[in-house]
Amino acid sequence: MQKQQSCPPSAPGTDSLSHSLTGNLKSLLNLLGQSGDLVVRDFLLFGKYQASMVFFSSMVSQEQIQEHILKPLMARPSGHPGFTDNLADMVHYIWNTAVQVTQGTTEQLISFLPPAIVKGELVLLIEGVNEALLLDMRQIDMRGVEQPQTEQVIRGPREGYVEKLENNLALLRYRLQSTDFRIEISPLGTRTQSRVALCYLDSVADPQLVAEAMHRISIIDTDSIIDAGYIEQFIEDQPLSPFPQVQSTERPDKTVAALLEGRVAILVDGSPFALVVPALFNQFFQTVDDYTERFIMGSLIRLIRLVALSFSLFFPAIYVSVISFNPELMPTDFAVAISGGRAGVPFPAVIEVLIMEVSMEVLREATIRLPQMIGGALSIVGVLVIGQAAVAAGLASPITVVIVALTTIGSFATPAYNAAIALRMLRFPLIILAGMFGMYGGMIGTILIINHLLFLESFGVPYMSPFIPGKWRDWKDTLVRVPLWWMRRRPSFLHIQDSSRLPASTPGAYADQILQQGGEADEHSKADHNAASGSRDQ
Amino acid sequence: MNTPRQITTLRAAAVISSTIIGVGILSFPRYMAIAGGSSAPFVAFCGIVISFITFWLLASLCRRFPREPLFVFSRRLLGGPLAFVFTLLIFLIFTLLTGLTLRQFGDVATTVLYKKTPIEATIFLMLLICQLSARRSIIKFSYIHFFYLPLIIGPTVLITLISMRNIDLLNLQPVLTMPSVSFWRGAREASYLFQSSFVIILLVPYMQKPKQAVRAGALGIAVAGLLYLLIVIASVGLFGSEETKLLIYPTLESARSAAVGEGFLERLDALFIVLWVISVYTTVYTTYYLAAVLLQNLCNFQDQRSTSTVLLPLVFITAMLPSNVFETYTWSLTLGNVSLVVLTGYVALLWALFLFRRFRKKGASG
Repeated sequence: MQKQQSCPPSAPGTDSLSHSLTGNLKSLLNLLGQSGDLVVRDFLLFGKYQASMVFFSSMVSQEQIQEHILKPLMARPSGHPGFTDNLADMVHYIWNTAVQVTQGTTEQLISFLPPAIVKGELVLLIEGVNEALLLDMRQIDMRGVEQPQTEQVIRGPREGYVEKLENNLALLRYRLQSTDFRIEISPLGTRTQSRVALCYLDSVADPQLVAEAMHRISIIDTDSIIDAGYIEQFIEDQPLSPFPQVQSTERPDKTVAALLEGRVAILVDGSPFALVVPALFNQFFQTVDDYTERFIMGSLIRLIRLVALSFSLFFPAIYVSVISFNPELMPTDFAVAISGGRAGVPFPAVIEVLIMEVSMEVLREATIRLPQMIGGALSIVGVLVIGQAAVAAGLASPITVVIVALTTIGSFATPAYNAAIALRMLRFPLIILAGMFGMYGGMIGTILIINHLLFLESFGVPYMSPFIPGKWRDWKDTLVRVPLWWMRRRPSFLHIQDSSRLPASTPGAYADQILQQGGEADEHSKADHNAASGSRDQ
Repeated sequence: MNTPRQITTLRAAAVISSTIIGVGILSFPRYMAIAGGSSAPFVAFCGIVISFITFWLLASLCRRFPREPLFVFSRRLLGGPLAFVFTLLIFLIFTLLTGLTLRQFGDVATTVLYKKTPIEATIFLMLLICQLSARRSIIKFSYIHFFYLPLIIGPTVLITLISMRNIDLLNLQPVLTMPSVSFWRGAREASYLFQSSFVIILLVPYMQKPKQAVRAGALGIAVAGLLYLLIVIASVGLFGSEETKLLIYPTLESARSAAVGEGFLERLDALFIVLWVISVYTTVYTTYYLAAVLLQNLCNFQDQRSTSTVLLPLVFITAMLPSNVFETYTWSLTLGNVSLVVLTGYVALLWALFLFRRFRKKGASG
């Protein structure tokens, strides 16, 4: 039960509330304007005093108002011990004894009332009292917690964020029950007043990082924040880069893991996505499954994902340059087969590949927006058009179809959708360069992309860390994922305050004990067991 | 969050290595074979030793001024005007070096790889990516070298080792011949490849441990030197010294003779060229960066971004000046001679003044 005295001491003037209820109501309704869902409910307070409630029916819970406000306030508490007829004390009496509401404030300035009403608070005005009571009755119906659509896992939690900020913060706090977990909430957007929550672990995250994130959010000056994506575009380091420098996730468990690494998460009311900063390149091919599955599987699958990622970027460019400039790189038999397949195709390889890649992109974009029922039909058409028919019509050679298919599937294997798009789009300039200058052009394009990645930073952390620059020990969770009990430290490139995950002295796991004791653990335990049983016998 | 001193010794060594490994890889064995016959590896080794000595002179001087770049302390030692003249000379040397390196690269690309692509386009593309990346800070500069070095060394060593399967040890004997005039000329020519280790002057003020500048350079030169030695041994061992003298790009020929897995990849030379593009890029990037920073110091600009843009047409014109491959070769040889004299002379002069000052200071205090 908290009572916030947020209002400043009232300065007497036109802005402050008067003692007249009708006057107060009139000026309040003036400020609020006409609205279909605005409710003004007049009633007799304790059967004696004229009073009015003002609220938006769409933002509040009407049953709650009936049960916990109207019912006690309309009753006659004359027999109640603390009750006085003193009007000056009335507001405090109501707050302390009558209404059963957890959050509320008192307010003496009239201009403070409309924003509160808009947020879903209820304003209680009483005849003869120059103070208003604001009670938080906000209730908005939301969809329930569902499985995240964009980040499916085989093994791991099934919960995803919803739109409501409170629910999302609850999902986080329930996974991170620590006093270290701090949430700072501030409104953003002059018109939407969206509440933005900045979450971090106080004893882990770099204070400079937290300050930087807070600073970047605080300087945003816009009228509307509709989604977390809006904030991402305001706070990212390099808006012109195709690569995402802020990670967005629908998964609370992923967010918590990031917080535990010393990152900062940003949530916005109304968005089922959390932003995680700083985001580095290697995060975009990691998934939750890598950690919940055993480490060998996790590492192997991660490597496969990397292969897929490089497929989606380089494969068509390599194909074009080999076909049109360096056919001698291929084994002779294969080269003969390919040129046989290409015999009827009227275009140069680069045009052929470009046409096929573009039509594949069109197909992909079309399937995303369609309802699932039609989507299936579309993919059949796509298969026919892109595959069979194109080859039969002499538009493309069979090997081109294979290349395009590998590229597209490769890009679908990249877990982060925005990073996958970046790589998919970058393959087009690469194809064109390869078509103009062969391997050399492809190489130049690749150097440009790699250089760009090396130059990028996300919140002051180099994008390619821990590869460049970095420490060897941070490589444990990059290309492969080593056993959890081997990752004793948090990644150092985030400049965390508290680096230890596992205590350095104790062995982390049963397997670790065996490794350290050279396989003697079994014999020890056997000996202990024997001794124990021996003593029992006696 | 960024501290200025970020370059580790290992990264500094990587910068020097990847700078040195460059356009010369392809033709290096030929010069060595011409100079020393079957003792070509030994010629190369002597060249590496010479270049290390010159590097040591420079780096041990820079080490004594860990906070200042060369331009600043040379102004103090030499006085403004003279330091300006030397900076101007070195700037010209590196601009010309960038241009000529690019030209050599363009020549190879057009003769071996893309006969129909105009050389201007090849050179300009390379120049463009150098210019774009030369706008960045020295820290990012070191990232780039550190990232590409394994990509250069790994496959090069692998391809060379594969081609070394067919080596004939007889071709490499006798290992030692009497050092003659041509022997030492060859060693000197070999040392020209290492001249861009001058880049250490940019790194020292940003190194975590500036005292280890010499160690970083030694490591870098050793790695690059070993790679060059390996290439010379492979080519001379494979073809014999007389045959190597006749091949324009012996390394490429030896890569061409290597095949993996009976038809999986039939010819590795195109792959080799691709990797060689990276190594050329890192080399040209360094010299371009050096030239841009030198120009920035000459003009007293805040950073090298604007000067790197100004440099672009200048370098491009330089690269277009020679009319054929042989002119490029003779020009770069002359440039090598000049820069050996200028750089070593400059450093020797600075050393002399430094020692003289210290001596006088000691004399004054004692």
